[in-house]
Amino acid sequence: MKKLNIALLLAVIALAVYLSVLSPTAMQSLQAGFLSFLAPFLRTGTAVQEQIGSMGKGLKTLDEVEADNRKLTEVNRVLLTTNNLLREIEAENNRLRLALEYRERSVFRLMAARVIARDASTWWNTVKINRGFEDGVETDQPVLTDVGLVGKTTTVSKNESIVVLVTDETCRVAAKVEGTREQGILSGMRVQDSGSNGELQLNFLTKNAALEPGQKVYTAGISNGVFPSGILIGKVKEFRTRPLDGQAIVEPAVDISQTEDVFVVVGAK
Amino acid sequence: MKAVAGALAACIGVFAAFLLQQALPAIHVLHGARFLFVPMIFCYAAMALPFPTMLLAAFFTGLLSDLMYLNVVDGRVEIALGCSIVFFVIYGSIANGFRPSYLRGHWWPVIPLSVICTWSFLLMQFAMISLRREGFVFDPAILWRLFAPGLLAGLFAPILHAIVKPFSALIPETPWRTREY
Repeated sequence: MKKLNIALLLAVIALAVYLSVLSPTAMQSLQAGFLSFLAPFLRTGTAVQEQIGSMGKGLKTLDEVEADNRKLTEVNRVLLTTNNLLREIEAENNRLRLALEYRERSVFRLMAARVIARDASTWWNTVKINRGFEDGVETDQPVLTDVGLVGKTTTVSKNESIVVLVTDETCRVAAKVEGTREQGILSGMRVQDSGSNGELQLNFLTKNAALEPGQKVYTAGISNGVFPSGILIGKVKEFRTRPLDGQAIVEPAVDISQTEDVFVVVGAK
Repeated sequence: MKAVAGALAACIGVFAAFLLQQALPAIHVLHGARFLFVPMIFCYAAMALPFPTMLLAAFFTGLLSDLMYLNVVDGRVEIALGCSIVFFVIYGSIANGFRPSYLRGHWWPVIPLSVICTWSFLLMQFAMISLRREGFVFDPAILWRLFAPGLLAGLFAPILHAIVKPFSALIPETPWRTREY
């Protein structure tokens, strides 16, 4: 190998080592800069993803096609299209009205945000939203919807932020179970089933907790914690007894794959 | 001339691959495995480019990869910036060893190289996050997510070659016999 090649190789390795010893804050600053640069591409990418995702939904079996055909002969095509359009607008209107009502009645100061990208990584569950430090968003602020908890902000750039979802293994939340004195630490799973809403694990419960499926799980709101008390996280799906403690499997309240609008808790009212 | 154009094309290709990966949803029938085009494109570039330009491509790919997947929770970084750069430099050096063969027209080593590179990259990420968290978790879905993207990369590698070849022929270069390896 040429001497120049060896020198270049060592230089690149040295640069990589230098980057690896940067503080987490410096790394986040670099990532925030990169995120700002990437944002226009991500927004376009999300639009493409939505188009691709909706392609499969249009595929139907022959029976369904026949059934559709029978229906379509009975109903005027123009009226049906118009009706569908109106329904879509009505659904959006209802969704936004609910969100607005939730913001008004909430005890928190909420900032509305839109999901601009869903993470395409294999191991992490994150989304990117269209609010950054210019809008007043900071690191470690809870993100929720009118239905329940979504996650918390991590890297915050000028106009975008990364939200680590409650379904991620690294997002840990102090949680309590409705109607009991049970409290534990809730986190996501390393790998979530891609076809479902995901599952959460509530650990460190007492062994004789005997939780029933359907019981609601809320944030416990520990002092100096990220999440305020009383935000719905999900419902108990299953309770298991382990040698040292009890564990509940919780179904998240929010279906993040379908969520487009979220709120960042930027303070108390 | 060709090396500069190649390096530029590799960097643009890697960036476009990141955006494409971002846009493509997980494959439900493969237990949530995803398309990973970046290691495949990098392998092709590492085989086709001279060593110094390969290093540039490795640095660019690694840095983008780390910035894209950097996960900082509670002040803790799971995969530090720079780890992927080292990975791509090491793997690129191995792939660059196949360059003489590639210049003689044997492009097919890009297939096994892409498969192994994608597997190794995902295994590295999985090992690093497992060591940072509470240990290794084994689940059929994890195996699918580790190995299916590599096989998909192997399937797409010939298509990548078919796309790159006509463009490569447009830029003149010295015949391979006069090259220094």
